[in-house]
This record gives sequence, structure tokens and C-alpha cells, in this order.
Amino acid sequence: MPGFPTAMAMWIHGARAVLMKELRMEWRSRHAINLLFMFVLSSLLLVVFALGTGQIEPPLQAALLWIVIVFSAAVGLGRSFLAEEEQGTLLLLQVNVPGSQVLAGKLAFNLVLIMAVMSVTVVAFMGLMGMRIVHAGLLLATLGLGSVGLAGATTLLGALIAKASARGPLLPVLLFPMLSPLFLSVVRATQEALTEGATWSGSATDLTALVGFAGVVNTAAFLLFEYVWTD
Amino acid sequence: MNRRYTLIRNVVFVWMTLMILGAFLLNIPRINILEHTARNLYFHVPMWFTMMAAVLVSAWYSARHLKTGSVESDIRALQSARVATLFGVLGLATGILWSRFTWYVGTDVWWNFDPRQTMAAVQLLIYGAYFVLRSSFDEPVRRGRIAAVYNLFAMITVPFLLYILPRQRASLHPGADGNPAFDEITAPVMRLVFYPAVLGFIGLFWVLYTQRVRMAHIKNRLTSNPEL
Repeated sequence: MPGFPTAMAMWIHGARAVLMKELRMEWRSRHAINLLFMFVLSSLLLVVFALGTGQIEPPLQAALLWIVIVFSAAVGLGRSFLAEEEQGTLLLLQVNVPGSQVLAGKLAFNLVLIMAVMSVTVVAFMGLMGMRIVHAGLLLATLGLGSVGLAGATTLLGALIAKASARGPLLPVLLFPMLSPLFLSVVRATQEALTEGATWSGSATDLTALVGFAGVVNTAAFLLFEYVWTD
Repeated sequence: MNRRYTLIRNVVFVWMTLMILGAFLLNIPRINILEHTARNLYFHVPMWFTMMAAVLVSAWYSARHLKTGSVESDIRALQSARVATLFGVLGLATGILWSRFTWYVGTDVWWNFDPRQTMAAVQLLIYGAYFVLRSSFDEPVRRGRIAAVYNLFAMITVPFLLYILPRQRASLHPGADGNPAFDEITAPVMRLVFYPAVLGFIGLFWVLYTQRVRMAHIKNRLTSNPEL
């Protein structure tokens, strides 16, 4: 029976192996990242066309920024478990790696993807829509906390829909209602970070809500994942 | 057992009849703007309490289903969610009508994102997603477990709205931040009907829910035994 430090190290080792596998697979096909990149750019283009060239106010910018991020997450992140099911590699993974490590690895990979999406979106918004960042630290904290919550929710829901027999666009339907607390907080904190005179204390309640949301969603994801994984 | 069930069911029906009679016939204090719409208190508020109770029942049986894997728990979680949706829609409808002709009178506003209204709408959306998720599975065992996971996973995010939404927009509901509490503004004669109404609606939930559970059992038996 290994002691706690060894068990912990083994757990991290397993989770990292899953993450590395995901990264390697992604590096070979570059499917998800290309899809997300194209999704962000084309939806942004539509937004810019729809709004014309006029100056857009920070509240609207914040809302559009998060709509693009959340929709691309819903489109691009549902595949992680589906791919295992389709390629028939699920059993292999089940035999070799305990559930919580698989979830941790996939979650970390989705986190990487979301952060990539966020960076592209933010840069594109700055370039195409004249978004001005007033409080960079606050924006980074909001994006960071938001991505953790988003990754937790999308990863577990991705595992759920991978089991469905009629797939279709299930992920957005499942994701959006439960994302509303996160969405409200991130949009308001982002608004604050984009308006003149932004302070940390102005968004303290939103940031605490985000920390709580990310914590609860990820904890619940780990608790419930066993029931999805051991079929 | 069957006779006791029938008895309780009939008591609920008589109780509801008396309550509805009381709701419309008893004289209530007339308050400006509110006037007779105050009687909606007997319907709107108990409907919400009932929905909350049904949501808790559904979550409880989802958790039970994950623990034990019993089909019975899955049926109960589903039927309770269905009845919760019914009461949620009714509560929402009575609330929209009530607010339109009191709080928002003369403004033409039907929906104003009152925190409680938004929360209820989110919970209804979650149940909508839950039913859609269920319908995308062929195999009952898998369907039950995945649906239970989603039910619990989505539900735990709803309480966050309690913390976030009031900061977005103040609630006009009694008892919310700065508004007088229910006890301070409700006349004794109205309480005489209101409390029985809460009990009555929860009883009505129980009747609808148990009937649906029985129905689901019969259907289950029919599909697993084609000769019947």
C-alpha cells in the first residue's frame, strides 16, 4: 500500500499521461484547435458585420466576448470523450487509468483549449472591435476563473453525451442553463475590467462567485464522474 | 394500502376544493393597485413552494438511483421532475400575470428579470435539458444513470443565482433585500387560506406524482412483458 505522497504522485502521473496523450493526438490532427480558431474568427466576423463600424460600448463588448467564448466551448469541447467512444479506445483507457485521473487529464486538456480560445478571442476583439483593456489583471483573473468553471462543466457534460445514442448538438442544450451563474459573473467582471476606473474591489463579489462556481462544478464533476465512467 | 391511498387522495381533493372556495369567497382587505389580485397569493406562492419540494424530491431520487441503481428511483426522479416542471410553469405564468398588472402596471412590461423569476426560468431550462438528454438514450439503464448525473450536476449551480442575481437587479418580492417580509404585510384572513393552500398544493403534487409513478410502473411492466 503506497503512502499518501506516493499515491498522490501516481495520481498526478496518470493524469499527466492522459493530458500528454490528448495533447499529442491534438498535435497530430490539430482538429479541435483549428475548429475552435475558425469558429471564433467566423462568429466574430458575423458580429462585426452585424454591428457595423461604430464604436461599441464596453458592456456590449463584454457580452459579445463571452458569447463567442461560451459558444465556441460548446461547439469544440464536447468531442473529448466522444472521440474515445468512436475510435474504440475507451476500453483501453478504462483498463489502464482510474476514472478520476482520466477526468483530470481531459479537464486539463479542455482548459488548455479554452485558454487558447480566450486568447484568440481577446486579441481579435482588441484588433477588430477596438476593445480597450483598462484593468488587465482583473480581466486575466476573470478569464482564468471563468475557464476553470467552463472546463469543469464541459468536460463532465462531454462525458455524458458521449454515452448518448442520438447525439446531435446536445452539449449547448445541457451546458447553457447550468452556465448562467458563471456567465452573469464573468460578463459583469469583464465589463468592469473594460471600463475606466476599474478596481479589484468593484468586482470582488463576482470573483468570489466565480471561485465558488469553479470549485463546486469541478468537485461535483469528480464526484459524479465515476458513475459515468464505470459503465 | 390501496384504500389508504384513495383516502389520502380524496382528502387532498376536498381540501383543495375548500381552499379554492375560500380563496375566492372570503373577504380580503383592499389595497390600492393590488386589489383583488392579492388572491393570487394563494396560488402563485404555494406553486413555487411545491416546485421546490418537487425539485428536492427529484434530486433525492437521482442521488438514490446513482447509489443503488434501482429503476424505481429513476422513475421517481423523472416523474417528480415532470411535476416540478408543471408547477414551475404554472408559478411562472401566475407570476407574470400578477406582476404585469401590479408592479409593472402602465409600463407594458411582461418580463423584467426579477431574480426569483430568472432563477425559476433557469431551473425550468435545466429540466428541459434533462428531458432532452433522456430522450437521446435507447438503453434504459444507461439513460437512468446519465440523466441522474446531469440532474444533480446542473442543479448544484442554481443556488449560485441566489447570490449573483440580487446584485444584478433588486427583487420586488416581499422578504427580498429591503422589502417588508411576508408576515408584516399579509392580513390574518389571508393567512387563513394561504397556509392550507401551501399544504394543499403539496398534497396535489403528491397525488399527481404518485399517479405518474404508478402509470410508469404499469407501462414498464407492459413493455417488459409483451404478452400482458
